[in-house]
Amino acid sequence: MKNLILSIIAFTMAFLTISCNHGSKNEQSSNNTAVLPQDQTVSQPKEVGTTGEKAVRETANGPESTVKQPVKSFSIAAIITDYLSLKNALVSDDDKAAASAGKKLFATLDNVDMTVIHADKHKKYMDIAEDAKEHAEHISENAGNIHHQREHLAVLSNDLQDLIDLFGTSQILYQDYCPMFNDGEGAVWFSENKAVKNPYYGSKMMTCGKVERTINGK
Amino acid sequence: MTGLAIALLILQFFQPSLNRSDELSAAHIENVYVLPENVKAILVQSCYDCHSNNTRYPWYSRIQPGAWFMAKHIQHGKAEVNFSDFGEYSVRRRRSKFRAMSGQIKNGEMPLWSYTLMHHHAVLSTEDKHILMDWFGRMEDSIK
Ligand code: HEC
Ligand SMILES: [Cu+2]
Repeated sequence: MKNLILSIIAFTMAFLTISCNHGSKNEQSSNNTAVLPQDQTVSQPKEVGTTGEKAVRETANGPESTVKQPVKSFSIAAIITDYLSLKNALVSDDDKAAASAGKKLFATLDNVDMTVIHADKHKKYMDIAEDAKEHAEHISENAGNIHHQREHLAVLSNDLQDLIDLFGTSQILYQDYCPMFNDGEGAVWFSENKAVKNPYYGSKMMTCGKVERTINGK
Repeated sequence: MTGLAIALLILQFFQPSLNRSDELSAAHIENVYVLPENVKAILVQSCYDCHSNNTRYPWYSRIQPGAWFMAKHIQHGKAEVNFSDFGEYSVRRRRSKFRAMSGQIKNGEMPLWSYTLMHHHAVLSTEDKHILMDWFGRMEDSIK
């Protein structure tokens, strides 16, 4: 009897598997995951890498001195905004809100207009963003597993740190440190408030951690 | 009952394509880093089946509908970590992967329980877990 039931279950599931699995085996790994709904892509706030024309002028020193093309400046403000709402969702132990914030962050990272990033920083940006997107995506897919979302936040925060070091920020931020997370390995996070509110433990240990660095917006 | 048996029998003829490649790709983790013998042995036993381009298929793994689940696991598993392509990841992503692998083992989430149910050889002993977590941790901290 048990066997019969098992085989019925197995059969049904196999059927479902077949019907949603048309010939998609073994295609390219990496990078072609998460397809975002079209409307999401379109309705993205366009703050990422918005204008602010800045004419870069070389010091006039000889007859061949030139005036460079106006360069649009790139800003990570939208990325920081999404990161902070993700972080705050985890502070409030809200895995569902964290998942939707992760989704939004993924879209924001995905929609960055690369043409406004200065050529010297292209490669570095791509390197960081590729990793950050993967963390954002996993957070978005892990409502119901807040521990796993927090594991990804820890590495995502390292990526954000590198983005801030690379591009600066117009907003004052506090870099906080939680020494306990991941069996004492420790983890950083960024906050818009000076008061410590720990996203790695939430209500269990809200004030655990300390401010390590204040990043002055410019 | 007979209907079900026939259905299952017919299903055996629909086999997903195999995930097999004979050569070790240039970007294979074993060509990128020196793996201690014990680490390599555990990865082969417990992880490569779903996270590389070379799955070993014991006879029972070809029985439907299990074979479809396996194909699905391989597809999703390789999208997360593919040891055959490890050298193609940026250093930053390799570090993320080492950390994620260590975390998955610590949390007891890998290898998937639905797989170890049938493939007992893939179950990690406490010692195996320590060996892997220790190596993954050292790799994460040392590569730049
Ligand atoms: C039966 C196939 C299978 C085996 C064996 C297996 N995995 Fe996985 N692995 C998967 C699948 C499927 C996923 C993606 C979906 C998920 O996370 O459940 C995955 C995901 C992962 C991830 C990404 C987790 C995340 O969400 O951040 C890591 C890391 C990983 N596996 C490591 C390992 C390691 C290390 C081993 C060996 C000890 C292993 N896996 C063995 C199938 C497998
Ligand atoms: Cu994950």
